[in-house]
Amino acid sequence: MMSTMANERADSPACATASLGNYRFGDLPDPSKWADCVHCGMCLESCPTYEQTGEEQHSPRGRVHLMKSVGEGKLDLTPDLLDPIFTCLDCRACTTACPADVDVGGLIEQVRGQLRQAVPLAGWKALVSGLFLKGIFPHPSRLDWLGRLLKLYQKSGLQTVARKTGLLRVMPDHLAEMEAILPSVGTPVRRKYKHQPLIKAKGETKRTVAILTGCVMDVMFSDINEATIRVLTHNGNDVVIVPNQTCCGALHVHAGDRETGRKLAKQNIEAFQDVDHVIVNAAGCGCMLKEYPELFRNDPEWHEKAEQFAAKVEDVSKFLHDTGFKPPKAELNVRLTYHDACHLAHGQGIRQEPRALIESIPGVEMVAMPNADRCCGSAGIYNLTHPDMAQAVLESKMQHVPQDVELISMGNPGCMLQMALGVMKHGRNQKIVHTVQLLDWAYQKEEGKDVRI
Amino acid sequence: MRKRPIATNDPHIQALARIVGEQAILYRKEDLMAYDCDGFTVHRHLPRAVVFPNSTEQVATIVKYCHEHDLPFLARGAGTGLSGGAIPLNGEVVISLTRMKRLLHVDLENRRAVVEPGFVNLKLTNSVAHRGYYYAPDPSSQYCCTIGGNVAENAGGAHCLKYGVTTNHILGLEVVLPNGEVIEIGGNGVPDPPGYDLLGLLTGSEGTLGIVTKITVRLLKNPEAKQTVLAYFDEVEDASQTVSDIISAGIVPAALEMMDQTAIEAVEAAAFPVGHPKDIAALLLIEVDGISAGIDEQINDILTICRRHHVREVKVAQSEEERARWWANRKTGFGAMGAISPDYLVQDGVIPRSRLPEVLREIADISRKYGLRIANIFHAGDGNLHPLVLFDASKPGETERALAAGSECLKACAAVGGSITGEHGVGIEKKEEMRFIFTDEEILAQTAIRDVFNPKNLLNAGKLFPTPGRCVETKQASSTVK
Repeated sequence: MMSTMANERADSPACATASLGNYRFGDLPDPSKWADCVHCGMCLESCPTYEQTGEEQHSPRGRVHLMKSVGEGKLDLTPDLLDPIFTCLDCRACTTACPADVDVGGLIEQVRGQLRQAVPLAGWKALVSGLFLKGIFPHPSRLDWLGRLLKLYQKSGLQTVARKTGLLRVMPDHLAEMEAILPSVGTPVRRKYKHQPLIKAKGETKRTVAILTGCVMDVMFSDINEATIRVLTHNGNDVVIVPNQTCCGALHVHAGDRETGRKLAKQNIEAFQDVDHVIVNAAGCGCMLKEYPELFRNDPEWHEKAEQFAAKVEDVSKFLHDTGFKPPKAELNVRLTYHDACHLAHGQGIRQEPRALIESIPGVEMVAMPNADRCCGSAGIYNLTHPDMAQAVLESKMQHVPQDVELISMGNPGCMLQMALGVMKHGRNQKIVHTVQLLDWAYQKEEGKDVRI
Repeated sequence: MRKRPIATNDPHIQALARIVGEQAILYRKEDLMAYDCDGFTVHRHLPRAVVFPNSTEQVATIVKYCHEHDLPFLARGAGTGLSGGAIPLNGEVVISLTRMKRLLHVDLENRRAVVEPGFVNLKLTNSVAHRGYYYAPDPSSQYCCTIGGNVAENAGGAHCLKYGVTTNHILGLEVVLPNGEVIEIGGNGVPDPPGYDLLGLLTGSEGTLGIVTKITVRLLKNPEAKQTVLAYFDEVEDASQTVSDIISAGIVPAALEMMDQTAIEAVEAAAFPVGHPKDIAALLLIEVDGISAGIDEQINDILTICRRHHVREVKVAQSEEERARWWANRKTGFGAMGAISPDYLVQDGVIPRSRLPEVLREIADISRKYGLRIANIFHAGDGNLHPLVLFDASKPGETERALAAGSECLKACAAVGGSITGEHGVGIEKKEEMRFIFTDEEILAQTAIRDVFNPKNLLNAGKLFPTPGRCVETKQASSTVK
């Protein structure tokens, strides 16, 4: 039966060669990625799952070895391979540590694409995954409705009832915990600015930028999107919200659904065709957008479009830093620390810029976090799919978060939820903020507004 | 983590799982494949199982079980060894010590610390640095290799030129013998204990005499001052002569490292480039440390010697950050080979420093003869060469050619009165080359010692010494080398 499948796939145009060892579906993994690895082991200590398990198959080197072994025909794409390949957080810390720049994350994503086709999800996992990844995230209007439902739940008193009656206890622990740290839902900027396609810069317009509103971001963290718009306009940028944009596809690509990933990528590439800058405030999304070309390795036409698109994408912190943002004048008087989101630090090499933004604010005292670029365990929806490992990674992260700060700042919504969970579990009284929210706060104060985070 | 209920009929795996728990054993092919080699990737074999004990008692119980049931077994740390010491050639039960990774005790008054074998080398220095101390042996893999593995291999490193290798820093060991008995040796701080030096025997025994479960190490006070020099040369000969002259001038640098052109190409193409010129023939990385008085003088002497040997450019690190960048570039050198070659094989020959130029010339000849590039990154100060044979295992015959070229490099080292290993161990990789430096009688004398500790030879068999079967055919080879 497998051979029929291979033959069918071999006919599909997206497929450059029919198979590679035991990889037999289109969009084959790139063997030059594992050829860079000489098995030195310098990545081991950088890996959060190796730290927890001490197990080689849960290390970057071990995973590369296994993925290469499938390519050499020594291993098959079996259900037993799911654990090593899907337990990876895709945090990219190993890529930073690697002397030979092996792209472990990219390889993991390609192999997940193969493995998911060989071993499809079944049962309730398939249902839930299909519902969210295909049924909801790619559809802004459905997400919007989900947001409205969530808002109703929070505002109608149902949340209070659910919490008081212990109704939440029927949920698995990790989901109940997540419920507890859900931010209160506001109005998505896509809806708010539906009839206002361009938000004018304050003062002279220096350039026009588009923002990626994101899928979950705009529902859960519309206040961060609002802050992003205010900070961008404060710095002379006209902001446009292009209507046809959609989810970046990172969650799909992480889950091995590269086909949906490509579909979403194409929609975004076309949606942002006429703008020069695509500004992103979610590290995971920004990294995905920059890596769209990886999805079209076998499609020269779209590969070129993806390259052109990727060149326009920038994280909001780096964009502000590189375009000469206005240092705020108002004092904030706050002690805080900064956490490097993996897909910002390891994925995009952005470390100094967000720190420079924060340190430009008068009265901010920055306390260094040891191992600031260690994963918090959020990793997209990893904390839902691998709750035990995510919890262990978070626990290890919390050991390094300074106690004596009021705020913990970062540049990725997934990390914000996870760190909020960490703070709650440790009974700490620290608020989680996005880097642009700090700038926004300072700018607003500068304008005489009385704002709190 | 993810629950892993045992699903196998193998009674040994079921028994081992009862000792360590089902979350601490691997036996499925998809997991075991990650354990089929260590940092030496040429030979591979699947283990029977991998177990993760968390205490000396568990290690002893596992070993006892293996001993009673005649199951071959071996110990593994981070698996960064370069000679194949942790490769389960005989389908061993691999006892992974990565979960025994605690720093048990720090005693700065007596300048020592006690660690479990899975504790990572660099973490020890990081744990005591703020109090002004460090752990001296610094293999380049120190970011991830374990001290247990360092003891097994008697690991060296860049700074061992001045401070000595692992064995000079081990004060005591707790060892599980191959029959499961637990013994303690050293550890009470007596500098010259009566009786045989068992610490010296165990350190560097490559996991063939016992499994180390607790290690007492010496800590050193941070040097008061430290200066680092980088020197670029147009001729390898000039760099070699500089090394020789620095040592004969009576300077004992903390480190004296050399990289040749191919090595520089790799590190500059990799993740931690420094901006070395690509057209130089060799560079030297020289570090001196100690009390502040006299450091500048030593640096001046070194600069003078470099200039005498036509150095193209020589500079002293201006900041700790610059120094750290030079060292990161050097220490990730082996892994950096991945940027210019799919596979590499690193050799570990030792030669008298005075023979450096001629042996390097010979290695260049070997490279031409086999049609394979050879990069050299090495501890020039103590004559410990690391020729890195670059090859592509996916090309038929290339692995064999690389092995032959590597072996010939070692023969060249042995021929000038050197040795086949300085710090990486013999393992699988160099066991046949042991004949370049030992006669059959000498090898038999050593395996007789092994038999005292490991009479059933279940622990890490087939490593360190050549198999007797090939004695006859290679006897002649060894006598001609002698």
